[in-house]
Amino acid sequence: MSLDELLRRACVWRARSVAPTAAGMPSGHAALDALLPGGGWPRRGLTEILSSDTGIGALRLVLPALARLSHEGRWIIWVAPPHVPYSPALSGHGLDLTRVLVVDLPADDASTRVQAIWAYEQALRFDDCGAALLWLDTLSNLRLRRLQLAAEAGSTWGLVFRPAQRAGQPSPAPLRLEIEALAESLPGVLSSATSVRVKLRKARGAQSGMHCQLEL
Amino acid sequence: MPRLLPSMTPHAAAMPAAIRAVGDMRPSARALPASALWLHIHLPQLPLEVLTRGMAQHRACVLVQGQGGRRKVLMANTRAATLGVRAGMPLGAAHALGEIVEFERNERAEQQALESLGVWAMHMTPQVSLVPPDGVLLEVRGSLGLFQGLDGLLARLRQGLKQLGYRAQYAVAPTPLAATLLARGTSRSVVQDEHELGRHLGGLPLAVLRLAPAEEDALESIGVRTLGECRRLSRADLARRLSPALLDTFDRLYGQTRDPRVAMVAPESFEAGVELPWEVRNAQALVTAGERLLLQLQGYLRARTAMTRRLRWRLANGARYEERFDINLTHPTRDHDHMLLLLRETLMRMTLKQPVTALELKVDELVSGSPPVGADLFGVRHQAQGEAYANFIDRLRSRCGSEALRAMELQPDHRPEGAWRWRDNDEPARRGGTKTLFSDGLNTRPVWLVKEPVTLATHHGIPQFDGPLRLVPARERIDTGWWDERGLARDYFIARTTRGSRLWVYKELDGEQRWRLHGVFE
Repeated sequence: MSLDELLRRACVWRARSVAPTAAGMPSGHAALDALLPGGGWPRRGLTEILSSDTGIGALRLVLPALARLSHEGRWIIWVAPPHVPYSPALSGHGLDLTRVLVVDLPADDASTRVQAIWAYEQALRFDDCGAALLWLDTLSNLRLRRLQLAAEAGSTWGLVFRPAQRAGQPSPAPLRLEIEALAESLPGVLSSATSVRVKLRKARGAQSGMHCQLEL
Repeated sequence: MPRLLPSMTPHAAAMPAAIRAVGDMRPSARALPASALWLHIHLPQLPLEVLTRGMAQHRACVLVQGQGGRRKVLMANTRAATLGVRAGMPLGAAHALGEIVEFERNERAEQQALESLGVWAMHMTPQVSLVPPDGVLLEVRGSLGLFQGLDGLLARLRQGLKQLGYRAQYAVAPTPLAATLLARGTSRSVVQDEHELGRHLGGLPLAVLRLAPAEEDALESIGVRTLGECRRLSRADLARRLSPALLDTFDRLYGQTRDPRVAMVAPESFEAGVELPWEVRNAQALVTAGERLLLQLQGYLRARTAMTRRLRWRLANGARYEERFDINLTHPTRDHDHMLLLLRETLMRMTLKQPVTALELKVDELVSGSPPVGADLFGVRHQAQGEAYANFIDRLRSRCGSEALRAMELQPDHRPEGAWRWRDNDEPARRGGTKTLFSDGLNTRPVWLVKEPVTLATHHGIPQFDGPLRLVPARERIDTGWWDERGLARDYFIARTTRGSRLWVYKELDGEQRWRLHGVFE
């Protein structure tokens, strides 16, 4: 069998020839838009953001897009956030606070985790929800798949924030990004921004492994 | 006074003793408007069903009558019937056939259930009257259009009765009494034409009239066993042998004299309960009973063209124990499915402190109006924006608790903790009303606020977090709040950890002068 024959078979698809991705939302970071398939964030489906540390900008990565969605009148729903989303900062980043809802579940034990995942799924299925955010470390592949189906069925962008250690775990999310802080080039000077590298771990319609550098 | 049909009016006594064969009457003498069409719902199992319909679980149940050793089976449900249990059987014999649950009759519950059923039926027609102890009579001519004809209406009725937990016989006829007798005699007969009445009624046994035993015996002694045979007697004969009231019954039966019925009036508020056949310890087992109550409520709300925002539930075990809870709705509704979903979620979270034997629902805050039409031309369900939101909010609250769902808003206060507050998401938002006092919230305020500031260790005066923190030189002094109890004096810094994270930390300017972590620039 020649290579051409093999490629003609329906069971083989080439990453390059995947159907064009729906146009994305501008992320507010030009370098990131260039990296993302569709030229921006997807409007539906799960996006996993794997972060090497807290406090390096995983949220600042998505806040411009959340601000845009909130001004389109869509709800931004934060499910079981690890800390209090601080209104003055959200407002400073341009979010319409009247479109922000927080599902505030107490300390994370097994039963509240189940509730959080349930609430998150409800948010994904809620048509007027623009983006639903969830922070979870351990999440079974099965649950993730369920969430991905819910996110695709609705019209909600599902953001799942996880530690970078989970990057090796397979995931049904069509888009996975890894973010890590870069060592400062000039050790003496302390800038107020953080340099980070954003790496595509997985992306439908783009090559994984590509990365860009952002100042967040 | 002979025992009359319960709905009979006393005017029978004033009837002239017209001497004419009952059958002689020609249709020309009809007193009723030709258009009326009556539907009678007969509930042969009502005494047993009011006691068992609260549970989905199906067990062999019997209603027991009598005292001591002479106790007999009065009524058996289908499960008991398949065991071979029959009405009239001595209780001991019934127990020998298998495991059965015994119940004593509760006539008050029967009466309440019949009234509730009448209220429910009012969503199909405004003309509903009760025929105690086991019947509900509806005038349905005017409702046929609403249900796409009689078949549509009957289909709706069958489905509704099944969901409510009743097995029913029904019949449709041009006179109310004919509908009643047909429903008692046979199931599901439909007679639309008055001329046909004779043919359908003729074969019914006398028992459907519910005469006094003496009267029935008197008729049987002259060989009369059916309505048809009775009708062939001359009026003089009937009046002499029995009572003139029976003549009136026949006149009303065949539409030869008026038979007005008083329509029920829907009560101002809804109140209904379901008795549970046995003690329930698990709240989730109450879903079936709750579902039935919600269906009744839906019928009531439709009849009143109203909706509600509050369902008030009560669980009880006699006078020993009670528990109350409310389910609040973001938008007024009468959508049964939505209310059931909320009830289910609420019960799932609930632990009963004691077993319960009854569930009650009360709704007394009505909002008049109807929900927006739920289906478009193609039958696709599309919800108004507000409705989708309300459903989402209600579901979340009933599962996670109402305190779990929060919105937020800014407050004009320089104290970081006071610059915002949680807002109950029912409160109207102050749209664009408050601005943050910091024009540059983008860079000077962290996205995460740590709920309780964390005290940081210091090493040679340098605060530590994953190693020594490096501070961005620009500091922000917040020294405010001296006018109330929560005054504070702090120097805030943006700090970097060795791993590149940015934190919001402050140094207390008085007291212990601790370094504390207050936020994360995520």
